[in-house]
Amino acid sequence: MITPTLNAYLVLSGLLFSIGFFGVLIRKNTLVIFMGLELMLVASTLALVAFSRYNGTMDGNVFVFFILTVAAAEVAVGLAIIVALFRKRQTIQVDQLDGLKN
Amino acid sequence: MTLLQHALVVLLLPLVSATIIALFLRRAGNWAAGISVLAATAIAAIALILALHGGRFESSWEWLRLGEFSLSLGIKFDDLAALMLVIVGIVGLCVHVFSLGYMHDDAAKARFFGGLSIFMFSMIGIVFADNLFMMFIFWELVGFSSWLLINHWHEKKSAADASKKAFIVNRVGDFGFLLGIIACYYAFGTVNLTELATRVEGGAVVASSIPLLLFCGAVGKSAQLPLQVWLPDAMEGPTPVSALIHAATMVAAGIYMLCRINVLMVPEALTVIMWVGTATALYAALCAIVQSDIKKVLAYSTLSQLGYMVAAFGLGSLATKHEMGATTHEMLIATGVGAAMFHLTTHAFFKALMFLGSGSVIHGCHHEQDIFKMGGLRTRMPLTFWTFTIGVAAIMGMPFLAGFFSKDAILYLAMTKSTPVFIVLAFTAILTAFYMVRLWKITFLGTPRTHEADHAHEGGFTLTMPLIVLAVLSLVGGYTAYYPKVFTQVFELIPEAHDSAHTVILITSLTVMIVGAVSAFFLYQCSPNDTLAQKAPGLFNALGALRNSFDVAYDYYVAKIQQRFAMLLNFLEQIFLAGLIVRGFSGVVGLFGMGARALHVGKLSVYLYWFFGGVVILWLFVTGVF
Repeated sequence: MITPTLNAYLVLSGLLFSIGFFGVLIRKNTLVIFMGLELMLVASTLALVAFSRYNGTMDGNVFVFFILTVAAAEVAVGLAIIVALFRKRQTIQVDQLDGLKN
Repeated sequence: MTLLQHALVVLLLPLVSATIIALFLRRAGNWAAGISVLAATAIAAIALILALHGGRFESSWEWLRLGEFSLSLGIKFDDLAALMLVIVGIVGLCVHVFSLGYMHDDAAKARFFGGLSIFMFSMIGIVFADNLFMMFIFWELVGFSSWLLINHWHEKKSAADASKKAFIVNRVGDFGFLLGIIACYYAFGTVNLTELATRVEGGAVVASSIPLLLFCGAVGKSAQLPLQVWLPDAMEGPTPVSALIHAATMVAAGIYMLCRINVLMVPEALTVIMWVGTATALYAALCAIVQSDIKKVLAYSTLSQLGYMVAAFGLGSLATKHEMGATTHEMLIATGVGAAMFHLTTHAFFKALMFLGSGSVIHGCHHEQDIFKMGGLRTRMPLTFWTFTIGVAAIMGMPFLAGFFSKDAILYLAMTKSTPVFIVLAFTAILTAFYMVRLWKITFLGTPRTHEADHAHEGGFTLTMPLIVLAVLSLVGGYTAYYPKVFTQVFELIPEAHDSAHTVILITSLTVMIVGAVSAFFLYQCSPNDTLAQKAPGLFNALGALRNSFDVAYDYYVAKIQQRFAMLLNFLEQIFLAGLIVRGFSGVVGLFGMGARALHVGKLSVYLYWFFGGVVILWLFVTGVF
C-alpha cells in the first residue's frame, strides 16, 4: 500500500482551497458562495491535520477542533442570514443584491 | 474739557448725528433735520471756541501695526487747520439752516440731512488729519458723501449719472494720491505731516514725483484740468449741497491738502501745479460765458477760482527782506500757501453765498434753473438780489470786498514770479467779471420772462438768514488785519504789495474788473436769448465746443479704446483663464471622480475581485516585490 506523502495532502488542500476560492468569486448564488467559503476553511484544516500527522505533534489537531467548533457556529449564523435575506428580498442571487449602488 | 477733547467732540458729533439718523430716524425727516442742524450748530460753536482759544496741539494714537509698518490716527491742529475748521463750521451751519427751508418738502429729507452730517464728519476728518493715510481715509469718505448727496434725487437719471461720474473721476485722481502716499512712505518712512517737515528740513531729498502724485489727489478733488469734468455735472445735486460741497469746502480740500504738504514741494512740481491751475482758471472762465443754467455758471466759476488758488499755490515762495538794525535778512516765505488759503477763505464765503442765492432763486421760481427764463427778480426777491450782488461784487474783486484782497494777493504774487501767469490770470479776471455780470443782469434785471419768474417770491427765514450772514462775511472777509490774531501762521504768509507794485496791482485789478463788468453789462440784453449767441454765433459755438471737448474726448476714450481693450481682455480671459485653466482643472478632477465612481458598482462579486486584487498587492508588498 502506498503511503501518501505530506505533499500529496498539501496539494489536495490547495486544490480544495482553490475550488472554494473560485466558487466564491464566480458563483452568483449566495448559498453556493457560502459553501465555497466553507470549502476554503476545510481545505485549511486539512493542511493543519496533515502537518500535525507528519510532525507527530497534536498542535494542528487542537487547532482543527477549535476551527470546527467556530465554523459550526459561523455556519449557523451565515445560513440564518441567508434565510433572512431570502425572506426579505425573495432572492439570494448576489447580482440582484445591489442595494449599495441603487 | 481739554482742547483735544473739544476737537474729538467736533469730529465725532456729526458721525453720531449721522448714525442716529441712519439707524432710527429714516422715516422721521423733521427729527433728522433737527438733529443734523443741532450738530452743525455745535460744530460751528466749538470750532470757533477752538480757533479763538489760540491753543494749538498735536496728538496721535497708533491704530494698526503690521510688523515694521504702523498706521496712526491723529489730530494736528495748527493755525491752518483752525482756519479751515472755522470755514467748514460756518459755511456748514449756513448751509444746514438753508437746507431746512430748501429741502422742506423733500420726500427723503432724512437721507439728505444724514448725508450732510456724514459729509461734515469726513470733511472735519481731513482738516484734523495729522498724517496722509488718515487724510486719505477721510478723503475717500468725502468722495462717498459727495456721491450720496449728488445722487439725492436718484430717480433722475442725470443725477445718478452725475454722481457716478463724480465718484469715478475722483477715483482716478485718488489713485495718484494713494501712489503718492505710498511713495512718500517708501522715501521717508513716515507719512506724518510734522515728521515729514522735520525730515525735509533736515535735508532729505524729495523726488519731484512724490508731490506730483500727491497733487493728483488735488486735481481730482479740486476739479483741475484734466479731471474737471465731474464738477459741472455735480450740480444735479440739491443746491445746498452744491454750495457746501462743490463750492466752499470739499473742492477746497485739494487746496488745503496741498498747503498741508507744502514742505514736499520742489520747484519742478510747483511749476506744473502753477500751470495746471492757470490753465484751469482760464478754461473754466471761458466755459462759464456760454452757460445758461444758473448753477452751471457758478460751477464753472468755482472751477476757475479753484484754478486761481492752485495757481497761487504753484507760484510758491517769495523772498522778502527783513531789516534788523544794520543787517538785512533774506527770508523765504511760503506766500503760495498764504495766497491760496486766503482766497480759499474769501471764496468759501462769497461762493457759498452765491450758491445759496441761486438756491433761493431756484426755490422762488419753482425749480427753474435757466437764467433766460428768469429776469426781473430784483423787485420780487430784493434780499436775494442784494446779497447776490454782494457776492458778484466780491468775486469780481470790487474794492473793499473780500475777493478784492485775496485776488490782488494772487495777482501780485503772479506779477512777481511769472509774467505769463500774471497775464493769463488778469485775463481770467476780466472773464470772471464778464460772466458774473452777465449772470447777474440776466437773472435779476429787466422784466420777468416767464410766469414762474413773475410770481417769484422770497423764501422764509431759514432761506434768507444764511444769505445775510454770508453776505456780511463776504463784505468783511478780506480784512485779515482785523481778524482775531489766531490764524497768524497762515495770514502772515499772504503776499502784500508795497509802493509802486501796489499801485500797479490796484490799477490792473480795477481795470480788468471794469472792462469785464462794463462790457458784459452793455453787451447782454435782458432777452430770452443769449445775446452773444445772436451777435457772434461762431464764438459762442466755439466756446460751447471747448466746454464739451473734454467730455467728448473721454467718451471717445472710454467707448472706443478702453471698451475695446476690455473686450480683448475678456476674450483672453474666456479662452485662457476660464477655458483652459479653470475648466481644465475642474475637468481633470471630474475625470478622477468619474473613475472613482465607476469602482462602486454595488455588486458583491466585483467587490470580491477588488478585495482579491488588494490581497495580491498586499502580498506582493509584504514579500518585497515593490
